[in-house]
Amino acid sequence: MPKTLYWLQCGGCGGDTMSALSAETPDLVETLGHLDLEVLWHPSISVGGHLEHRRLIESIVNGKQRLDILCVEGAVIRGPGGTGMYDKFAGEPKKNLLARLARQAQFVVAMGTCASFGGIGADSEVEATGVQFHRAEKGGFLGTTFVSQGGTPVINLPGCPCHTEVIVGALTALATGEALELTGQQTPVEWYGLLIHQGCVRNEYHEYRVEESDFGKKGCLFFHLGCHGPLAHGPCNKFLWGRRSSKTRVGVPCFGCTRPDFPQPHPFFYTRNIADIPLELPEGVDRAHYLAYKGMAAAAAPKRLQKRETRV
Amino acid sequence: MSQRVTIEVPVNRVEGDLEIRVELEGGVVSNAWCSGTMYRGFERILVGRGAMDGLVVTPRVCGICSTAHLMAASRALDMIVHAEPPPDATRMRNVTLMTEHIQSDMRHAFLMFAVDFVNPIYKARPLFAEAVRRYEPFKGQTVLEVIRETKKVLEIVAIIGGQWPHSSYMVPGGIVSVPGRGDLRQCRLLLKQYRDWYERRVLGCSLSRWLDVRRASDLDVWLEESDAHRESELGFFIRFAREIGLDGIGKGHGNFVSYGSFELPEGTQVRGPRRDGLLVPAGFAQGTRVRPFDQMKIVEHTDYSWYKPSEGGKHPEEGETEPYATGHEGKRYSWAKAPRYEGAPAETGPLAEMIVAGSPLFADLVNRGGSSVLVRELARLTRPCELIPAMEMWLTEAVGDGTYYKAPTEIATGEGYGLTEAARGALGHWVRIRNGFIEHYQIITPTAWHASPRDASGVRGTTEEALVGTAVADPANPVELGHVVRSFDHCLVCTVHTIRRGRELGRITVGGA
Repeated sequence: MPKTLYWLQCGGCGGDTMSALSAETPDLVETLGHLDLEVLWHPSISVGGHLEHRRLIESIVNGKQRLDILCVEGAVIRGPGGTGMYDKFAGEPKKNLLARLARQAQFVVAMGTCASFGGIGADSEVEATGVQFHRAEKGGFLGTTFVSQGGTPVINLPGCPCHTEVIVGALTALATGEALELTGQQTPVEWYGLLIHQGCVRNEYHEYRVEESDFGKKGCLFFHLGCHGPLAHGPCNKFLWGRRSSKTRVGVPCFGCTRPDFPQPHPFFYTRNIADIPLELPEGVDRAHYLAYKGMAAAAAPKRLQKRETRV
Repeated sequence: MSQRVTIEVPVNRVEGDLEIRVELEGGVVSNAWCSGTMYRGFERILVGRGAMDGLVVTPRVCGICSTAHLMAASRALDMIVHAEPPPDATRMRNVTLMTEHIQSDMRHAFLMFAVDFVNPIYKARPLFAEAVRRYEPFKGQTVLEVIRETKKVLEIVAIIGGQWPHSSYMVPGGIVSVPGRGDLRQCRLLLKQYRDWYERRVLGCSLSRWLDVRRASDLDVWLEESDAHRESELGFFIRFAREIGLDGIGKGHGNFVSYGSFELPEGTQVRGPRRDGLLVPAGFAQGTRVRPFDQMKIVEHTDYSWYKPSEGGKHPEEGETEPYATGHEGKRYSWAKAPRYEGAPAETGPLAEMIVAGSPLFADLVNRGGSSVLVRELARLTRPCELIPAMEMWLTEAVGDGTYYKAPTEIATGEGYGLTEAARGALGHWVRIRNGFIEHYQIITPTAWHASPRDASGVRGTTEEALVGTAVADPANPVELGHVVRSFDHCLVCTVHTIRRGRELGRITVGGA
């Protein structure tokens, strides 16, 4: 019997769906075929009309239709005043639909940062929250104790959007019964146990503290341009986007979009610092040592890097 | 006696949440209401943020149009700091946005629109089996090909901008990346591959053969000319659409607006049709009568939207977005506002671009039968013919390791706007910066034009008007309404507005759907 998937779009932009469509070798349709995974509903793709959709929802909710994987894209919108009426489906708050479906699902997957942590609207009047986290704090919409039928809490796949390979990889693991080891933020270690920075082609510039203060150059973006590469977890520079490149590779600072605090309250493209050293340092790094190390690194920087001769 | 029936339909296969309500008399739509059912509070999130933050936050308005939002946001900042992006930066901004267009056109047409052709209501039609073979979700031949080819061409955006969707590589003064010769070469190869597929499978002919289709009668000649044309995606689409009467529904008000797009860089060999310095010209047309465009003539009404009333509508420079709804307010029915140009509603998107540019084929089609679902989709399906040659030229003209950024002055205080065309039509950002922070941000999306509710005078919005007169065979399966609505390529995630912190909203019991 094929496993089943229901894709629910809440308060989001559809970007995770767009990311999923970019899957390569196998592509999205091939992946579903290999996994024998049947998509019961996806709002952008399914053919059925609204009556069929309502019947489907009913049969999932009353247990007649098995639901293996519930993917949630976009934040849970609770505003105004907890009513959820800023995002409604067929006259009722969409969050109620999410609650009913989540009770039946073997696994609940939060696709992207909005579904994982609340994301863009988490501090606004729309009262957005994540499916089981609000920012860095466990709870969110379903609450701290929620465990799906398959015995796991909500699996968070942050990223804005979630990386293509993470979507495909997670669906594959869940459909084939492989356990995903999770971090404290309920993100799979496999993809969130490394930093965006790892694999960036500007790493040698970073090592020798050859840092840029403006765009269009080859050096590192961490000290002045607000890059979160060493501060955010995710596989962007391991898998790349479209298997071609990444933001940091082409010179766009990483905005830390996999982090629970995305979007940060202070301005982007700017690194807050103390004595010319970034205020926020990579996890576990001692400031005094870092200051000494970076000073020596800058002094040791070869001419070819200072002159930006090494290509990125 | 004709019986009056009201049906309410949540519409899927549009981006985001849209519900329509229509009244049927004798099986024909006599009145329609189009309701955006989600409010995400975007513009509000921007107020008080850093001057450049629109470049990061606004692409997240929409996963499909993220490059268009980036273009609008960076052009607004360009204006505020009087930045002058180098010609090659303009080339790369254009090429990447055009990449977003040419993939979106195919995804919309075949993954979202044509899927309705496999609705069981068409089972008895002679072309039904072939439609299923092509368009069945996750299985159809066309669906598989479109997924495969569109993701590949998007690699161009990844090479120039790092990722798609949601990158922020356009900044005031140009772009942040400096493509090398190898990067440009890769982009040319990816585009070549897409063009080959588009000509071979979608058109069934070369771009230039299609561009020779200059009148309605030429279209029939083209269709009959060869099996390659008839059996191509375009040929089959036209045949099926005519079979089910899509050339006769979805007419609407007959007004068209294009903000214009793709600034021609200095020294390029690419020419635009109207000599306004743009590849896709700006204009407002009633029927096919095109007039010059002036952004000051845009206002947004909120009389039927769940926002604070504004008398006579407001220009987006002074527009506000404050939710306003009570359980007693029966008149308001949407989170979309009602944009108007010189007081008139308008449709936007590929067909509007063709009309404003003076395309002889589309002018002839609209002069004969007005706008329709088929004409609208035909414009979308063939728009890549207008864009691909310019993309090729710009990828050839751009210099590897050249100049792609010219630092502007720091952004302190100022006001500006960024206008462009997203894949689905006119997009504008109106921005005011004070002391390095955003003081005001208003966005009018193409979907606001399309999903618009009624305005102060009670005039129906674009989609609402287009629905009126549509015959519905089975109210339990109103596929005809889906055709009309989806022909506008709605992207409801975009109709997102802001509110100010700390306002008492009262109880909202809206819709009643």
